[in-house]
Amino acid sequence: MRGLAISMILADVIIAGCTGGRPTATGTECPSPDPLTLGYDTAFDPGCTQVEGAGSGVCFGKAFMDKYCIQCHASDLKLSMRNGAPLFHDFDTLETTLEVPDHVDEQAGIGPKAANDFMPGLRCPSTPGGPRDMDCVQPTDAERQQLSEWIACARHRKYNFRPDAGVADAPASDAGIDAP
Amino acid sequence: MMGMARQVVVAGIALAGLTTPAFADHDHAGMAMSSSGTDVGSTSAVAVGMSFVAAQFDTMYYAGSYQGVVPSVSWSRGAWSASASLSMYHLDENGLGVYGLGDSMVHGHVDVLGVPWGRVGVAAMIMVPSANGQNGLGMGHLMVMPSAWTVATLHAVTLSASAGFSRALVDLADHVHGIWPLVDPMNMSEITWSGGADVGVGRGVHAGGRLFGGYPIGAPGIDRVIAAARVSWGGSRVLTGGELQAGLAGDPFTIRGVVDTALRF
Repeated sequence: MRGLAISMILADVIIAGCTGGRPTATGTECPSPDPLTLGYDTAFDPGCTQVEGAGSGVCFGKAFMDKYCIQCHASDLKLSMRNGAPLFHDFDTLETTLEVPDHVDEQAGIGPKAANDFMPGLRCPSTPGGPRDMDCVQPTDAERQQLSEWIACARHRKYNFRPDAGVADAPASDAGIDAP
Repeated sequence: MMGMARQVVVAGIALAGLTTPAFADHDHAGMAMSSSGTDVGSTSAVAVGMSFVAAQFDTMYYAGSYQGVVPSVSWSRGAWSASASLSMYHLDENGLGVYGLGDSMVHGHVDVLGVPWGRVGVAAMIMVPSANGQNGLGMGHLMVMPSAWTVATLHAVTLSASAGFSRALVDLADHVHGIWPLVDPMNMSEITWSGGADVGVGRGVHAGGRLFGGYPIGAPGIDRVIAAARVSWGGSRVLTGGELQAGLAGDPFTIRGVVDTALRF
């Protein structure tokens, strides 16, 4: 019986040693000055580089989220269709994405301090709210680096999330919400 | 006769405490309860236990349920005792079902002061991150949890209380994720507490209730309070119990049931 107890303790230690890393901030900083090439779409970031084939006016941020994230992280998905995605972590709009920029960076970004590939999981839905499978597309390392850089820049930009959206041209004092 | 009955009561409480898995709470209440009946003899005793848990939760970010099984083994000799448990769960969180190991517990405690009607002791627990911290089954960090407890018995009533400190062994300035995991949430740094009473109602049956929880300290977190009602039955060798728990504050869960049985050698 004493051997059983010792075995359980050893098993604990071994199992603990085998578990993977943890989400870590990548330490990515936005270049100064902000080149404004990595943006969400041209409505919010008029100078951003559009992604070919992603739709009119769609830049890196929206293209990335639409391709890899909103299958689970979308505000219009019922709870039972989120495949485990936490509530209030919705990436179908720029505003909701910028409510949790740290989580995006720590789960899926690559930068000088960390390489995170926790999201999307190896098994993930290929369609919004669909069942998880092994065929879902995964971002490349280059895309993960761009994700962290975009988040690092976007979180400091002044956006106007009122219905009359778009990047605020007005001074910061009345430019709407300062992204977290 | 009265003395023998009291010995059986105390032994039963000891058995319950020794084999109550740490998953059920992080407040060392089980150890507090066990202390009242820790064998003061010089022979070793070993117990094995199995607990089953089922809960429903509805937090700010997650809603779902889980079911778990927690085998445990414990050893005691005189005022010293130690135990280990390894948990396994099925968790349904926001539409995703996962199976996996939970975090594991290793703990020991010792009586430091004893009188005929009560005891005071200290305990230390280590929570080993055997679970995947990403999917809600585990904390994702090694946790250390020192505590102190006291227990007093008056006739058929046993009162217990404990206080402790739980801390993730991680730089809190660099990494704070708040209360986690889904299956047994706690703060990364918190003061734990518990208080309860147990009364023998005859024929080896005991009924009791307790409050326990955690208060965040040193890092952002959420105050947590849980109320529980428990019934157990059995003797000094086999003890079975059931506990119904309700989360009163902090959204640890909506309701949780625990059934445990233990065999002492």
